Amino acid sequence: MTERDHQGSERVDVDRQTEHGPSNVELTGRQHQAERRAGIALAVAIVAGVGLFVVYFSGGQTQVEGILFAIAFGGLGVALGIWANHLLDAREVVEERHELTSGPAGRQAFEDALVEEVGPVIGRRSMLLKLLAGAGGALGLALLLPVLSLGPAPGNTLKVTPWRRGSRVVDEGGEPVQFNQVPENGFLTVFPEGHQGAADAQALLIHVRPGSLKLPADRMAGVPEGTHVAYSKICTHAGCPVGLYRAESQSLICPCHQSQFDVSDGARPFFGPAARPLPQLLLSVDEENILVAQGDFTEPVGPAFWDRGRR
Amino acid sequence: MMVERSLKYLDERLGTASLARKTLRKVFPDHWSFLLGEIALFALVVLIFTGTFLTFFYTPSTREIVYDGPYAPLQGTHVSAAYDSVLRLSFEVRAGLLMRQTHHWAALVFLAAIVIHLCRIFFTGAFRRPRELNWLIGVLLLFLAMGEGFTGYSLPDDLLSGIGLRIFYSVTLAIPLVGTWVTYLLFGGEFPAGDVISRLFVFHVMLLPALLLGLVGVHIAILVLQKHTQFPGHGRTERNVVGKRLWPEQTFKSVSLLLFVTAILALLGGIAQINPVWQYGPFQPAAVTSPAQPDWYIGFLDGALRLGPPWDLNLWGFTISEVFWPAILFPGIAFGILTLWPWIERRFTKDRAEHHLLDRPRDTPVRTGIGAAGLMVFFIMFLEGGNDIFGVLLNVSVETITRTLQWGLLVAPIVTFLVTYWICKGLSRTRLRPAQVNAGVRLTRGPDGGYETVPLEPTSVDGDRTPAATGPHAE
Repeated sequence: MTERDHQGSERVDVDRQTEHGPSNVELTGRQHQAERRAGIALAVAIVAGVGLFVVYFSGGQTQVEGILFAIAFGGLGVALGIWANHLLDAREVVEERHELTSGPAGRQAFEDALVEEVGPVIGRRSMLLKLLAGAGGALGLALLLPVLSLGPAPGNTLKVTPWRRGSRVVDEGGEPVQFNQVPENGFLTVFPEGHQGAADAQALLIHVRPGSLKLPADRMAGVPEGTHVAYSKICTHAGCPVGLYRAESQSLICPCHQSQFDVSDGARPFFGPAARPLPQLLLSVDEENILVAQGDFTEPVGPAFWDRGRR
Repeated sequence: MMVERSLKYLDERLGTASLARKTLRKVFPDHWSFLLGEIALFALVVLIFTGTFLTFFYTPSTREIVYDGPYAPLQGTHVSAAYDSVLRLSFEVRAGLLMRQTHHWAALVFLAAIVIHLCRIFFTGAFRRPRELNWLIGVLLLFLAMGEGFTGYSLPDDLLSGIGLRIFYSVTLAIPLVGTWVTYLLFGGEFPAGDVISRLFVFHVMLLPALLLGLVGVHIAILVLQKHTQFPGHGRTERNVVGKRLWPEQTFKSVSLLLFVTAILALLGGIAQINPVWQYGPFQPAAVTSPAQPDWYIGFLDGALRLGPPWDLNLWGFTISEVFWPAILFPGIAFGILTLWPWIERRFTKDRAEHHLLDRPRDTPVRTGIGAAGLMVFFIMFLEGGNDIFGVLLNVSVETITRTLQWGLLVAPIVTFLVTYWICKGLSRTRLRPAQVNAGVRLTRGPDGGYETVPLEPTSVDGDRTPAATGPHAE
C-alpha cells in the first residue's frame, strides 16, 4: 500500500459526492441547446422508423433497410448520448472497496459448517469412500461410451480409395476419358468410374510434353506413352484440391497454402509447406483406347495422419 | 400508481427494493477503454437476435437437391439443402439478407472487440490479483467466440467454407496418436462425411452459445463483485472506486453505446456485402477457389499454415505431420502463454499484492514489449494469410512474400520488443501523463470552524507511483 492510498481513504467518505457542473434546478443555455439537439436526433429516429415500414411493405430493399435501421438506432443513440453528457445531473462518486476475503476466521467457520454433520461419518467409513470413488469413476467412464458412436473406427479407410485395378478413368460428368483426349499441356480432374465426385479418389490427369518426365522405371510403367501421368488432386499438406497447373514449368500449385509440386519429378514438393509428393495413380490404356487404373494410388492420399506409414 | 404497486408487489415477495437501490448506486470508473468489453457484449446481443432469426430459415442438412430459386447462375445446380436454405434466406426472405449480413459483421466486430479488450486488460495489468480468474474466463470466452465464428462460417456449405472445413479436418488429423479417432468422432467419418453440417449447427446454436452466455454471466458477475479497476489519478486509491453511478449516468451511456453498435452493424449489414456464398458456389470436394481467405480471426492460423516449414517426422512408421508445427504446436504454446500469463508474470515479479489501480503501459516496459512482440507474431501470420492477394497487389511473387515473412517472423518480434521497450522507457522519463486529471483542491476545516483550500499538484498524484512495485521491469 502506498502512502497515497492512506491519504485517499482518509480523504473520502463512503458515498461522498462531489458535484461538477451546475445544479439542475434551471436549465442553462447549453442545456437548452442540448435538449434541442437530442430532440432533433429523436425526431430523425422516428422518421427512419416510419421509413422502415414503408420500405418493408413495398417489397424490402437490403441497402435502404440497413441505412434506415442505422439512422433509427443511431438517432436514439445520439439522443441518449447527449442526454448522458449534458442533461444528467452528473456526479463523480467515490465508493469504498470492500475486503474481498472472508479472512481466516470466516474460512474456518465455513469449514466447520461443512464437516460438522458429515465429518465423523466420513472418517469412520473410509472404505465406503473408496468404493464411492470407484463407483463414480466406473459410471463416469461408462457414460463416455456413447461418444464412440459418433463416428466409425478409422480402420484403414484413410489408406484406400475407390480406385481398383481396371477402374476406368472418367471425368466429373462420368464420361470415360480416352487416351489423347486431353491435349498436350492440358489437364483434367478425373475419378474412377462409378465414384464420380468421391473426395478421396479425385486425381489430376496431366498430358505432359513427351520426354519431360523423370520418373523411376516402375512409375514410368504407369504413364501411357510417357505423356499421360495422373496424381492425387488432394494436397498432402492440408487436403485442398491442387487446382492450379502451370504448363510451362509443369508444376502444380495448391491455391490454399501455395505448396508447389514438380509434375516432371513425381510431383515432388519444391516450395511451400507440403512435405510429401502427391501420390501417383498408375495408368494403362485398354483395348477401347480408354484410360484405366492399374490399382490404387501409390501411397495414402491427402494430409498426413499418425499411422499413415503403417501397413 | 401502477409502477409503485408492482414495485411493492415484487418487494414484498423478493425484497428487491434495497437490492435494486444498491445496484443503481454502484460506481463504475469512466474511461473510454473500459467500454471495449461492452462493445463485445453488445455485438453479442446483436448476434443473438439476428442469429435467432437465421435459425428459423436455415436447414442443417447436406441432402442434395436441385436449386430452382431466383438466382439464375445457379439454377439447376445440385446443391445441399443447407446451401439452398441460405440462398433462399438471402434472395427470397424479406430483410433476410440484411439479417444474415448483419450477423456476419457482428461476428467480426465481436471477435475484434474481444481481442482489443484483451489487449487493454493485458497492457494495463488488469489481470493481476485478484482478477486472475476473470482473465482465465475471458481467454476461454475468446476461444469460444472463435469456435462460434468458425462453426457459423462453415454452416452455409459453400465452396470457400468447405475448403476451410477441409483444412480444419486436416489439422485434427495431424494430432499425434489420437488424431484419426478424434477426427472421425468429430466429423462422423472420412471427409466429407454427411453428418458434419448438422453437427456444426448443434455446436453453433446450442453447445457453444450455452457455454459462452454462461461464462459471460460469470465474467460480469465477478466484475461486479470485485468492482472495476481504475487508472491512477486524483482521489483514486487501491481502496476506492471513483466514477459514475450505474444509474443514471452509466446506464444512459451504455444504452447509447448499445444503440451505436447496433446502428453501425445494421449499416454494415445493409450496405457492405459480406460472404456472398452464391458467388463461391456450393461445396464440391474437387473444386477450389482462389484466392481463398478465411474470416480475419482465423487468418493467423491460415497464415501459419502457409509459413510452416515442410518438415514431417517419421518415427517407427508413425507420422507427425508438417501441419502439426504451425497449426497445433504454435497455437498451443501461444495460447498457453496467453492463458497462463498472470501466473507467468507473477513468477518473475513476485508481486502477490492486490491491485485495483491500473498500470500505464509505459510504466511496465517489459510486459508492454512482450505484448507488442506477441501481437507482431500474430500480425505477420495474418499478413501471410493474404500472401496471394498481396502478391497480386504488389506485383511480387508469392514465394518472395512467404520467404520475407518467414524471416520477418524470426526478426520482427525481437525488434518490436526492443523498440517498444525503448519507447516506454523514453515516455516514462518525460513524466508526461496523457490521462492526467485535474488534481483539484483539498478542503480542510480548521478547529475554529473556518475552511482552508490547498491546491493539489497534478504530478504528485502519480509521481509517488514507483513502477518497480507493480509489474515486470528490467531495472
